[in-house]
Amino acid sequence: MYKLIFAIITLGVGLWANSVVTSLLIIVIMSWYTVRKGGIPLTIFIRLMMLPMAFLVIGVLIIGINVSEDINIFLAYIPVFGTHIGVSLSGLQHGIIIFFKSLAAVSCLYFLALNTPMVDILNTLARLKIPKLFIELMGLIYRFIFVLLETVDTMFTAQKSRMGYASFSSGYRSLAALAATLFVRSYKRAGDLYTALEARGYEEEINVLAEPFETGKTQYTGPIFINILLVLITLLFKT
Amino acid sequence: MDGNVIKARNLHYTYADGTQALKGVNIDIKKGKTTSILGGNGAGKSTLFLTFNGIHKPSSGEILYNGKPLEYTRDGLKELRSKVGIVFQDPDNQLFSASVYQDISFGPMNMKLPKDEVRRRVDLAMERTGVAHLKNKPTHCLSHGQKKRVALAGVLVMKPEVLVLDEPTAGLDPMGVSEIMVLLRDVQEELGLTIVIATHDIDLVPLYCDYVYVMDQGSILLGGTPKEIFSRPEMLRDVHLRLPRVGHLMEILKENDDFEFEETAVTISQARRELKKWRDMVTQSLR
Ligand SMILES: Nc1ncnc2c1ncn2[C@@H]1O[C@H](COP(=O)(O)OP(=O)(O)O)[C@@H](O)[C@H]1O
Ligand SMILES: [Mg+2]
Repeated sequence: MYKLIFAIITLGVGLWANSVVTSLLIIVIMSWYTVRKGGIPLTIFIRLMMLPMAFLVIGVLIIGINVSEDINIFLAYIPVFGTHIGVSLSGLQHGIIIFFKSLAAVSCLYFLALNTPMVDILNTLARLKIPKLFIELMGLIYRFIFVLLETVDTMFTAQKSRMGYASFSSGYRSLAALAATLFVRSYKRAGDLYTALEARGYEEEINVLAEPFETGKTQYTGPIFINILLVLITLLFKT
Repeated sequence: MDGNVIKARNLHYTYADGTQALKGVNIDIKKGKTTSILGGNGAGKSTLFLTFNGIHKPSSGEILYNGKPLEYTRDGLKELRSKVGIVFQDPDNQLFSASVYQDISFGPMNMKLPKDEVRRRVDLAMERTGVAHLKNKPTHCLSHGQKKRVALAGVLVMKPEVLVLDEPTAGLDPMGVSEIMVLLRDVQEELGLTIVIATHDIDLVPLYCDYVYVMDQGSILLGGTPKEIFSRPEMLRDVHLRLPRVGHLMEILKENDDFEFEETAVTISQARRELKKWRDMVTQSLR
């Protein structure tokens, strides 16, 4: 539960701070917690961070690019139909701040999603009367993302070691094969999972017991301390 | 009652794609003993196991549990599955939950036990399988050996009468193998469980099993105590299996090097006994 609060407060501070330094700090703190405390392999974490990165780069480009008649604001530009399209300093700054702010937000959410309390999140959601089916699905997806990533990883390595990605065309073919196999495997896995659930008496509903909660005041001091520090650093850099 | 918990008679099973996985299987599982099903890949071991708890319904033949034919009704299956627990080969297919504790609680929750009872059982099962310290870990952080233990705990917690394990030692290091086998033996002694193990790890069989069935291409070729089975090495070789290493050595010593043994020895301790006997015999005749 305290992780949920930690993530939400930090997310709030990150959005409020609007500063690259704070965002970077948040990314580092959250990554550290997720990798060291949550036990998520660093490679998987980095790969997960790359996912939104692709979208963000496109987004930042769109923000960073301005249209104006005044060429003085541009760092670089091309003339188009009597006006100019280019990258401006202010646009770029704006874009970069947004880029890191978004990454910091994503790292907060990943921290939440990748640490144990997924279980707690599901419990909390259940208490908020979110439909059970939805919660079960979330839990299963969460569990099998890791199985899937592992499968992709081994298959990818196997393909690479047989020169599957040596050239562009072979890489294209290998990737297609990987996707197809992954689909078939996932399908088979779903079948196997169902069999295993059935063997333990599954009928229509996944019933599990949450481990007893342990809450203490000390759990909250760390997150609060870190966030006060973040706020102070932000103020320091603002002035 | 003749001491057999599970009896299968002339069992046939065909998969949807036409693969005949079981072709007339006859098998008796003795109560309170450890029985192993020995067979190469694709012999039909996993398929056979899934008929034991009613996941697969045989296309012909019948299965008796404690002398009564299986009932394929909702209640019948539920009852059966709380008595016959299967630990699957790949723990990733069995562990579905984000947390170890939750995963283990799944079976007893399905049995509609009161929550206090579930908690007690989960704690006990984690204790028995030595995973208590992993209780708050996410499932995906566990090592393969740890996953296997959690999977085992998830079945033991239902207090089954028969524990069925599909290749429990596959993918484990030598230490892991003996640890899990010793664990199974301890649990068996404590709870009086009947254990059925599918394996192609031949060296395990004489050490831990009371009975063996040799399976190939969907049928049972022979069955008996490990001693009986391993005194017929030709049969084993026909189905791509072999003697335990020690047994093989003893066979070579006997046939090529004029050693004389009274009994077939397939474990280290048996071989030691036979070799000592032989030594005493030789020193005596020299005197
Ligand atoms: N889901 C399935 N669909 C079709 N054929 C299958 C399926 N599962 C197993 N088989 C086939 O049934 C036979 C026995 O398989 P299995 O019981 O898994 O053997 P074992 O566990 O001894 O390795 C094999 O020929 C296998 O290809
Ligand atoms: Mg199998």
